[in-house]
Amino acid sequence: MYDGYGNPPGMRMPPPNPHPGQFGIAFNGPSSGLIRTGLEAYGGRFLDSSSEFMQSNINRYFSNPQYYFHVNDQYVRNKLKIILFPFFHRGHWTRISEPVGGRLSYKPPIYDINAPDLYIPFMAFGSFIILAGFTLGFMGKFTPEAINLHFTRALIGWALQLVILKGLLYSMGGGEVPLLDLVAYGGYLFAGLSLAVVARLIWAYSYYIVMPWMSLCMGVFLVRTMKRVLFTEMRSSERHSSRQHYFLLFMAIAQFPLFFWLGSIGA
Amino acid sequence: MAKEFPVPPVVFTPSTPTHRRPPPPGAGASPPPAFAPPRPSTSSAANPLPFMSFDVNAAAASSSAPPLYAGPIGVGSGTSFEDEPPLLEELGINTRQIWRKTISILHPLRSADPSLHADADLSGPFLFLLSFGLFQLLAGKFHFGIVLGWVTVASLFLYFVFSMLSGGRRGDLDLYRCVSLVGYCMLPMVIFSAVSLFLPRGGGLMFGVGMGFVLWSTRVCTRLLAELASSGDEHRGLIAYACWLVYMLFSLLLRAGSRRWAGTPFDTFQQNTPIPRCNHD
Repeated sequence: MYDGYGNPPGMRMPPPNPHPGQFGIAFNGPSSGLIRTGLEAYGGRFLDSSSEFMQSNINRYFSNPQYYFHVNDQYVRNKLKIILFPFFHRGHWTRISEPVGGRLSYKPPIYDINAPDLYIPFMAFGSFIILAGFTLGFMGKFTPEAINLHFTRALIGWALQLVILKGLLYSMGGGEVPLLDLVAYGGYLFAGLSLAVVARLIWAYSYYIVMPWMSLCMGVFLVRTMKRVLFTEMRSSERHSSRQHYFLLFMAIAQFPLFFWLGSIGA
Repeated sequence: MAKEFPVPPVVFTPSTPTHRRPPPPGAGASPPPAFAPPRPSTSSAANPLPFMSFDVNAAAASSSAPPLYAGPIGVGSGTSFEDEPPLLEELGINTRQIWRKTISILHPLRSADPSLHADADLSGPFLFLLSFGLFQLLAGKFHFGIVLGWVTVASLFLYFVFSMLSGGRRGDLDLYRCVSLVGYCMLPMVIFSAVSLFLPRGGGLMFGVGMGFVLWSTRVCTRLLAELASSGDEHRGLIAYACWLVYMLFSLLLRAGSRRWAGTPFDTFQQNTPIPRCNHD
């Protein structure tokens, strides 16, 4: 379903240049000659069939990651505005879908402001680590081990967010959403978090104002997005059940402890 | 009361061989006469032992050490020694090219020449990282392993982001070239680490100078990445932010010290937060 850009899943063709994103490193890197000659000893078909196998099976669990990086400057700016101030977004929240080759797929982020992307989560994650380092430096407690600790903490926070989102979807019965979509939605929290940490660096007491505000914004953003996702995924009749609403509320409230835990740098 | 032991006076006479050493255990494989004390204190060139085939002059120069490894050097490879290529060439280290690449990055305002960096090598970056570590060592911080690890992770990150952003038209940027680029663009950070030894620690001056060097690194790195990959022009701002993050990480490492960074608004935060004090009773 999600093949807006790149190889369609399930299509078995031998790759002309074996490239599926980061999985192609082994075939394109500096030791590729060695691997190729080694595998050629077993016959060319081994190389083709194994990479085919990997491609078709990986696509079952991960949609093509390149779809999520098809962004440009303008998209990044507007998406950041939506994430940080979701109240002011006047437009609709549905993703634009287009029929591609007989199947319905979503437009890539460069054409559709509501599409999830992975560039912002990764960059926000990096910014958060740098800002954590700054904060530690100002407190006099910077060591490289502390950076590693915050890196691990941030990864765990991201994974927790992913678990909450996936749990929500699973309990509602809609399991068709690709994993990388949820990874993207979960990663947007670092944008708000980084902004809160910047505010704290500028003025110490702004922490108590900006942090709850950012949690609230993230909660609202997630609620609106997941509501749309559930709306499109659920084909059954229980669309506006109260159970759904309770779960969405839980997800929004869970943002607060998550933000405060990740923001407690140096404690 | 301590007993008095008659201690014979120790006299060193020139006739006494001073290099008498007990044979080390398990020395069966090495030639046994190596441990016979050289009786004539003059050079043993006058007394060549027939079954030792190594260079006897070398044994004379270092007559005190048992020549365990001197054996194979002279044996059998004397004929092809002059025909071997020079060591640096064999290792693939092209010093002239490294020097040219370094000079091209050094000028902060003129942009670097990307054609020089088309062939990647890792020896220049390795030298830069070592000197970075050495300057840190002069400041009292032992960060060699950390720097190497962070460079690896950072270039993996950059490679991943860059290859995803430019889609399938990656040009000819592969991981090796990416690591080489990130390493070469560390040169301004190496200069900063040298400069930071003389600046007052933790002040605003260091912060400002650090930002200048980080921006220099970022500018060079972005330009080289965009040119080399031949398709990165439309994503320059996005790539520039990723490079900026990488070099900010290294500048954090530089500015870390044992003393707190003074003169920031954070001081008020520290003072106003009540710290529980224990009662000394």
